[in-house]
Amino acid sequence: MELTGRYELEAPPEVVWDALFDPEVLAASIPGCETLQAEGPAAYTATVKLKVGPVSARFKGNVEIVDAAPCRSCRITGKGSGGIAGVAQGASLVALEATATGTVLTYTADAKVGGKLAALGSRLIESTARKLADQFFANFATHLKSRQENAA
Amino acid sequence: MNAEGLRIGARHVGTPLRRENARRHVAGRSRFTTDLTLPQMLHAAFVRSPLAHGRITELDVSEARAAPGVHAVLTAADLADCCTPWRGTLDHFAGMTSVSQRPLAEEEVLWVGHPVAMILAESRAMAEDASELVLLDIEELPAVTDPHAALHPDSPKAALEAEKGNLCFETVLETGAVDQVFAEAAHVVEEEFTFGRHTAVTLEPRAILADFDPSTRRLTVHQGTQTPYQFQDTFARHLGLEQSNVRVISPDVGGSFGMKLHVYHEEMAVAAASVLHGRPVRYVPDRLETFLSDIHARDHRITARMALDAEGHILAMDVHDIAPIGPFSTYPRTSVAEGNQVIRLMGAPYRMPDYRGRLQVVFQNKVQTSQYRAVGHPIACAVTEALVDKAAVALGLDPFAIRAANVIADDAYPARSATGFEFEALSHEECLGKLRDLMGYDALREQQAALRDRGIYRGIGIAPFVEITNPGATFYGIGGARISAQDGAIVKLTPGGQAQVAISITEQGQGTETIIAQIVADELGLDPSQVRVTTGDTETTPSGGATWACRGAGIGGETALRAARKLAAQIRAISGAVLQKDGDTLILSGGAVVSADNPMVAMDLSEVARIAYYRPDTLPAGIDTSLSVAHHFAPSGYPFDFTNGIQASHVEVDPETGIVRLLRHWVVEDCGTIINPLLVDEQIRGGVVQGLGAALFEECLYDESGQLTNGSMADYLVPMPCEMPDIAIAHVETPTKDTILGAKGVGEAGTAAASAAAMNAVNDALLPLGARITQTPMTPLRILRALKTITD
Amino acid sequence: MSEQIPLSFTLNGKPVAAFVEPRKSLADFLREDRALTATRLGCEMGTCGACLVMMDGAPAHACLVLAAQAEGAEITTLEGQSEDALMADLQAAFVDRNAAQCGFCTSGMLTTALAYVRQGGTPDRAAIRDALSGNYCRCTGYEAIVDAIAGVAEAAMHKEAAA
Repeated sequence: MELTGRYELEAPPEVVWDALFDPEVLAASIPGCETLQAEGPAAYTATVKLKVGPVSARFKGNVEIVDAAPCRSCRITGKGSGGIAGVAQGASLVALEATATGTVLTYTADAKVGGKLAALGSRLIESTARKLADQFFANFATHLKSRQENAA
Repeated sequence: MNAEGLRIGARHVGTPLRRENARRHVAGRSRFTTDLTLPQMLHAAFVRSPLAHGRITELDVSEARAAPGVHAVLTAADLADCCTPWRGTLDHFAGMTSVSQRPLAEEEVLWVGHPVAMILAESRAMAEDASELVLLDIEELPAVTDPHAALHPDSPKAALEAEKGNLCFETVLETGAVDQVFAEAAHVVEEEFTFGRHTAVTLEPRAILADFDPSTRRLTVHQGTQTPYQFQDTFARHLGLEQSNVRVISPDVGGSFGMKLHVYHEEMAVAAASVLHGRPVRYVPDRLETFLSDIHARDHRITARMALDAEGHILAMDVHDIAPIGPFSTYPRTSVAEGNQVIRLMGAPYRMPDYRGRLQVVFQNKVQTSQYRAVGHPIACAVTEALVDKAAVALGLDPFAIRAANVIADDAYPARSATGFEFEALSHEECLGKLRDLMGYDALREQQAALRDRGIYRGIGIAPFVEITNPGATFYGIGGARISAQDGAIVKLTPGGQAQVAISITEQGQGTETIIAQIVADELGLDPSQVRVTTGDTETTPSGGATWACRGAGIGGETALRAARKLAAQIRAISGAVLQKDGDTLILSGGAVVSADNPMVAMDLSEVARIAYYRPDTLPAGIDTSLSVAHHFAPSGYPFDFTNGIQASHVEVDPETGIVRLLRHWVVEDCGTIINPLLVDEQIRGGVVQGLGAALFEECLYDESGQLTNGSMADYLVPMPCEMPDIAIAHVETPTKDTILGAKGVGEAGTAAASAAAMNAVNDALLPLGARITQTPMTPLRILRALKTITD
Repeated sequence: MSEQIPLSFTLNGKPVAAFVEPRKSLADFLREDRALTATRLGCEMGTCGACLVMMDGAPAHACLVLAAQAEGAEITTLEGQSEDALMADLQAAFVDRNAAQCGFCTSGMLTTALAYVRQGGTPDRAAIRDALSGNYCRCTGYEAIVDAIAGVAEAAMHKEAAA
């Protein structure tokens, strides 16, 4: 399953970049995130509670940011295990581009699910994943804004 | 005694007696395993692998163990000492391999759904809640999901321990001159086929309630199965119990169709857990779990060609079947029997001198596959009949004409197929003629032509078939399987003069108990309502093969008949002593023993019984007063009693949408002596619809990483009432001379040829559009691809 | 798990008062708490029809209805239909036509059939097949079930015409 998205953020690429590496912002942005712990400068473990169609589960997983080209692009990989609900793993290429009003963030992601999620939710997974991605970036934009306001 | 009772031969065999079981079902009084509860019962839930292949790197059950209502959480190590492993190989499939299995995965997980841990809790909901707390981490290994790639020498293995890579079994069946025949033939037609993987979807899931009593070391298992004796043996051997201490009871079973006679990890785990914890343990999978753990069936990639002479006589077939199974072979019947029957049933209705069939059974990381209703038949039939139809088109012959020119003539028996099957007596010619009349073939062809002019595409497909029934001991026993080819019955005259039968064949709704009552009633001169039949309990019935491979009516029925005759002889001997008549001159009829030469000399069976049970002192000294007899019967004539028949399908294909509408279906069938025409017809109809489901709808879909993607009844399409046609049935009766009863099996006949007939009908409809489909299920998408409306 | 909530409704003509877990389905309540096992579970997602019960006179999937949703309702399971004359006719027709093989779908089939005939359904085979479109049976191939219902619908029509 491949997903792509494009978001306009009202902040310059440097601010967006910093926020991407801020565990607090990430924790507040990831839908259903219960805990997020930094395991290194660009690696986290997280617990996320999600519901896909008839399957709801608490996922334990790790997220890593690699191939970082500061303020321009990076690759985010993640793997989560949701117990009997199944497993999910994915990789996403995120690119930032400065515009007159801030930053355009684009991503292409490849996601794979297994277990109950795949067997029961296959028709729902794509729309759910898209919804989750939208939610993440909506949350991210909100926190970015409040971060900027706080800074100001 | 009234005059009515003196009439000899008020026979019940051959009449449409209604089933007493059905009265319980319609009243809501059935008792399925899923309905049973016992004091102190625990409920099991399983944690399963979400990946198709991998190595368990972490399994932490501590949080689950502490969850509310949880009695225990078991992993492979917990069961290692109380349940020995099993391996699904049989000796007569020379060279076959398979890795051994344990109830729970130890290190390596082999398919999505492989049970890894088992929760025992006070309720199913609590067990499921706790299963969410198990932490399972698996290092992913490459999953084998394509059978052709699996056979490549560099392919990863579906199971790391497999001895011969991904090849489970390989065999070639060949007559002398196949290549030469093809080289010299006037016509050769060939085709590639893909048959999808589907599954049984019994409405009642598999269900088990195991109840071990540590004080007596007795294990009682209530299980929805066809084969309680096989499971009695399996549980005893693998759990280290005395066989006499293991009792398996199959109460009402909500559908079976071959799926409920295989050994499953969950059932072994449940029985082992009950032994380990000394409490009753129940497990009923939910629907997703049935898709992830019930055996799947079929799944074949076949290339096949047929050689014909200039007049359209079939000279030879050359078939290569690649049959992907699961990551191991199913225990104890293997996953090889399906492919083995595919290559042996090719061309079975026809005079075909030469043949080559090559079978490769291949491991992959999907649910195990094994025997399901009509094992191998639908595949062999579809391949053969598609090629016959293709040849008919090439030669400009009518489908009936080419078959009439090729079927083994009704007066040419006994006959032997190119694949080595011995046919006692079949009736292809008569069936062909009967079908043509039954369906009004000529009128349908006229209608088809007229509708084509209006852009309506209808198709007619026919498919003769041969079915394997009443298998003898060479089927499984010879390979070392502890699966009985014989059956046993105990028939008893009660002190009140009625009969009770305990028999080793089982009932899943097909009417086993009813036909046994009919047979025994005829032998004892009783009404079937006076014959009570008990099945499905290893403690109260004799041991036997039970119900599979269309053997219940033929072998079980013959067993009951012979047992009842033994009892009748006893009754005649005892009553002869009273009546001072030679027992041989007495007839059992109308609930009485009657003198053949003087109908006025008679005595009621209740009187015979009264004397034998309560006043044996009034009988001559030394007379045997036994009124319970036991008899066992195993077929000893032909290795199988083959049946035959022919089916026809009438369809309409919408070339815009690719949707196939089933208009009508016809079956002419010859199962020998028909014990109960009502039950026979409904077995055929149910079987046809399972075949049509496979033809058009049913498929277990996997992605390339081995994930099952349609594990629910919303996504896996079963045939529903609104999509299915009415099915007309006619019969030819050619009784087998192997038995007194003359009955052969019928349960799989419908499934054997329905999908072949439907495939030929769809291709007949597509013919003027220049399209052809050789893949099942024939989904709208695939038909649109065949029409080149969609090209991807 | 959460705490239990009070529930009262009419079950097979008699008042029932109980405490249930909010997440418990009506089917589980009937089977586990009331031992009314004629209501069967086949798919637990409303596609197979094995769990159909009458809820305020109309068929409802007991697997999709929470027990708590039955509050104040009138629920009738197959066990509670034994006095119904039309149901008796359907049951007799099912036996006569061998429309129940393994029996696991039978309660749901009879529930759909009862609603169909009660609503004045005709003996038209296509209409009956349409009415049964949410009832799965693996054994019969459906024809016997259609025949049985058609026979009862036909008789009911004549009865109505005569009345």
